[in-house]
Amino acid sequence: MRKTSLWEKDKYRFLIPTVLVCALLVSFPFVYMLYTSTQYWIALRPERSFAGLGNYRSVLLSTEFRQSLLTTVIFVISSVAGSIVLGFALALVLNEKFRGRNVIRALLTIPAIIPPAAAGFTWKFLLNRDVGLIGGFFLPLLGVKRALLGDPGWALFSVILADVWCQTPLMFLILLAGLQAIPMELFDAARIDGAGFGQVLVRIIIPLLKRVLGLAVIIRFIFAFTTFDVIFTMTGGGPGIATQTLPLLGWKTGFLYYDLGQAAALAVVMLLITVFFSSTLVRMVKL
Amino acid sequence: MRLRRFAMLVVLVLMLPLTGFAASRPTVTILAFAQGFAWPELFGSTGLERTEKLAELEDRLGVNIEIVWGDESTVRMKALTDLIAHTGRYDILMVGSDGGVQLYGWGGYLEPLDYYLENYPMEWFDPKEVFPKFLDANRMPPGGPLYALPYYSFGAGMIYRADIFERYGLTPPDTVDELFTVLQKLKEGLEKDGLDMYPITMRAAPGEEPSLDLLGFVYAYAGYPAIFEGGAVTIEEIKKTKAKPILNSEDFKKGFTAYVEILREYGPPGASNHTWVDMMNLYAAGKAVILMPSAINGYAAITITEDPAVKKYSRFALAPKGPSGKRIQSFWTFSLGINADSKHKLAAWKVLSYLCGREAIQAFAERTGWPNVPMRSVLYSQNLIDRYGLEQIELNEESIDIAEPYYFPYIPELPDFMDKIGTACSRAVAGEDIDKVLDELQLWALDRMFKAGYYR
Amino acid sequence: MKLEGRWKLFGIVFLVIYLLFSLVPIAWVVISSFKTHYQTLIMPPKLFFKPTVTAYKNVFLGGMGKVFLNSTKVAVIDIFAAMVFGIPAAYSLARFKSGVTENIGFWLLSLRMAPAFGVVIPVYILMRRFHLLDTTVAVNAAHLLINIPFAVWLLKSYIEEIPVEIEESALVDGATRFQTLVHIILPVSMPMVVTVAILIFIFSWNELFFAFVLTSSEGMTVPVLVASLAGSMTFNWPLLCAISVCSMVPAFVFAFVVQRHIVRGLTLGAIR
Repeated sequence: MRKTSLWEKDKYRFLIPTVLVCALLVSFPFVYMLYTSTQYWIALRPERSFAGLGNYRSVLLSTEFRQSLLTTVIFVISSVAGSIVLGFALALVLNEKFRGRNVIRALLTIPAIIPPAAAGFTWKFLLNRDVGLIGGFFLPLLGVKRALLGDPGWALFSVILADVWCQTPLMFLILLAGLQAIPMELFDAARIDGAGFGQVLVRIIIPLLKRVLGLAVIIRFIFAFTTFDVIFTMTGGGPGIATQTLPLLGWKTGFLYYDLGQAAALAVVMLLITVFFSSTLVRMVKL
Repeated sequence: MRLRRFAMLVVLVLMLPLTGFAASRPTVTILAFAQGFAWPELFGSTGLERTEKLAELEDRLGVNIEIVWGDESTVRMKALTDLIAHTGRYDILMVGSDGGVQLYGWGGYLEPLDYYLENYPMEWFDPKEVFPKFLDANRMPPGGPLYALPYYSFGAGMIYRADIFERYGLTPPDTVDELFTVLQKLKEGLEKDGLDMYPITMRAAPGEEPSLDLLGFVYAYAGYPAIFEGGAVTIEEIKKTKAKPILNSEDFKKGFTAYVEILREYGPPGASNHTWVDMMNLYAAGKAVILMPSAINGYAAITITEDPAVKKYSRFALAPKGPSGKRIQSFWTFSLGINADSKHKLAAWKVLSYLCGREAIQAFAERTGWPNVPMRSVLYSQNLIDRYGLEQIELNEESIDIAEPYYFPYIPELPDFMDKIGTACSRAVAGEDIDKVLDELQLWALDRMFKAGYYR
Repeated sequence: MKLEGRWKLFGIVFLVIYLLFSLVPIAWVVISSFKTHYQTLIMPPKLFFKPTVTAYKNVFLGGMGKVFLNSTKVAVIDIFAAMVFGIPAAYSLARFKSGVTENIGFWLLSLRMAPAFGVVIPVYILMRRFHLLDTTVAVNAAHLLINIPFAVWLLKSYIEEIPVEIEESALVDGATRFQTLVHIILPVSMPMVVTVAILIFIFSWNELFFAFVLTSSEGMTVPVLVASLAGSMTFNWPLLCAISVCSMVPAFVFAFVVQRHIVRGLTLGAIR
């Protein structure tokens, strides 16, 4: 109660500039996207007509959409889970005090700072069955002789691996910052009670970190759902369309087939999916 | 005092024409990809340098030249956003002869060049020097206006390792039957000798890339461009005869299957994700005996390899004949056209005719060492003859002479077809059932053509 | 918190394995940048080879300075803008909870959800309307929409953990809301502020689509250059590696210098 009364007069003062700027920037693109999605419009062609929900129907009924959606779901779930688990583990380890901690922290951020297009190309090269360090040297030493990127299942796995590689550092940084908000006294108290690390983790760290952890999942989910560069340079969606996620399909529809109406419809569908899932997540973790 | 004022006046007067000159110089902006190996003599090997040669050229043409690079995907977005908005920000656009020419040319986004060729001939560009087929490839519709000039360009062929061929007593195959025999013998021989090599490398990454080579196989097997009924390749023909796509017909399937089978049986295991870079890398590393039918990628390998055997024993041969008697195709030009919205078309024409002119092509051949040039005089330049020998250069010319630029349809939907066909190829090479893949492809193509209003 | 016994062992083993996974590709990029293209293809890789600096020579002589300057400009302004607009909004959202603010908060988050391929054309048209094409302002504006959502939400979630009593005592002492934010909340939130700054730097440094579409020759940034050299039309692998290495150095230095501030704000522990 006191909290609210204290705030009465400053309610929106700090919020308005941000909201105004964002609204100004976002309203036109958003309306334009909605409008385009209701048009039959192949760019560079003269004809253009009202389509109603026709574009949405074409998008939702195409088998390619359904296949890409499935690929996206697998990609997003694995990539989010992988990078959160690894990032959390790293944050716990590097929250310890030891010599060289700062250097290791900085080293760990490197995969995030390599330009994504270069990252995709690097992994593609590394995994090449014949001339790549991993695919052509390490794996054969272990007896694995298949070409990972030539096999639909393994290609998807490889793309996920590369994305986890790029994105884990960001999750690590967020969760590490989150850990700083947990008061030391709680750990000391737990130690005096004779609780082991496992118990501290389950009873103190995870409950207290729930919000940051939830937020990390949401941010990571949004990122993963819109990932383009890494997949595009690594596999181009292939082999076939085995690693073609929705952003790649959208890019192809819009900028290869120039079907701007259908691309916009797909963008709206993707937006709806993301909004639905992230709002559910927000409610779940009570952010 | 007076002297100083006088001196200043002189300097000012001298500078006046200079400033006036600089201000009136139009700026021509080029949007292109292939950063680093297109026009290295002007923009350096990063594509960002402003060399003395570039400054010299600017003075010579009285034009400021800017170049914007991007990879294919981003260049596409940029070109499209800009063309839709009709800003004319890019005066010269890079358009491939396998989609860009057809789409932009037909849509009126490129300036027809015939008028300029006739009225503003440039000393550094003589159309008679260019192999006519490379110009034909840039006309839309076939025989229609010329929309772009060719920069580096190539016909089909195979690059093979003469030492390995000799080892197994083989000669370059003249027909596809012989090709299969050669591949089988190579496979058995390499296996027996424990050589870490593949009989052949070709590309099958998803997207448009493999289509250029794959459709060349289809053409050689069917004897005509078996994409639409009756081999229709122009909008007019398709509309007149209401020619439907025939992508799951026997004629299309024969060539498609051969391409896929070769890769499954004799190619590297990851081929379903290989682009031309992978073809080149494998051949350069000495891991493939044959590279085809886009021989240019073999030349790229020969010029970067440090493997003495690859360097010494690589040879060019014509691509084999299909059962129809026609040879496998792979024909492409890296072309440049002028944006119809450009505000400095004449200046752009001057720059364009230089960029695709003799000097630039000669410089390309010398810098890269690839004999894949659109001009006869450059193909027979001393530099290339010294490098490959006269006989090999003659074979290269022959591959252009027998090329059929219209082995795929010249319709604005071409980029979509190239992408879909290439992706279908990738799926099949990765192991999916060919019939299933082709049936899906055919369904998509029918839908696409109906939507585009061809059969009304 | 102290990892002890087997947990400590787990921690060490995990860290070592992860470092390998994380750094082997990077090491390979760095080594490749000193090779020729052919040498990068040879398996098993030669441990001893004659290094060449041709690639780096090309990078430095090849007019890369401008590209790096552009990227730096974009990144610094991005961070600044995200902080100016993000911190007050996050503070407000954290401290004043109601249906309305929660909806505003979620709306801000949703800004990041639109896929780039869907909005790049209208954003281009918008910038053209305001005559901002080919300026870094246009790029910053587009980036703001992408940075604000997670800047606001990360800061908000952090500020929520700070006990409100600290501010109340300050307010009672007559400080304005703004002073409270600057002098009390900001120092305590430093770990997250720094994290957000690093994230935004990394993001801006690497953003490709908007940076490329909205600018032309003058505005080229590092990822645009990298992408065009990594694209399907190019094959100079060592040059790409060299540019990637050069591109990583500023971001690494920034992360290294700044991340040491990701440590507990002292005041926070004292007040709890």
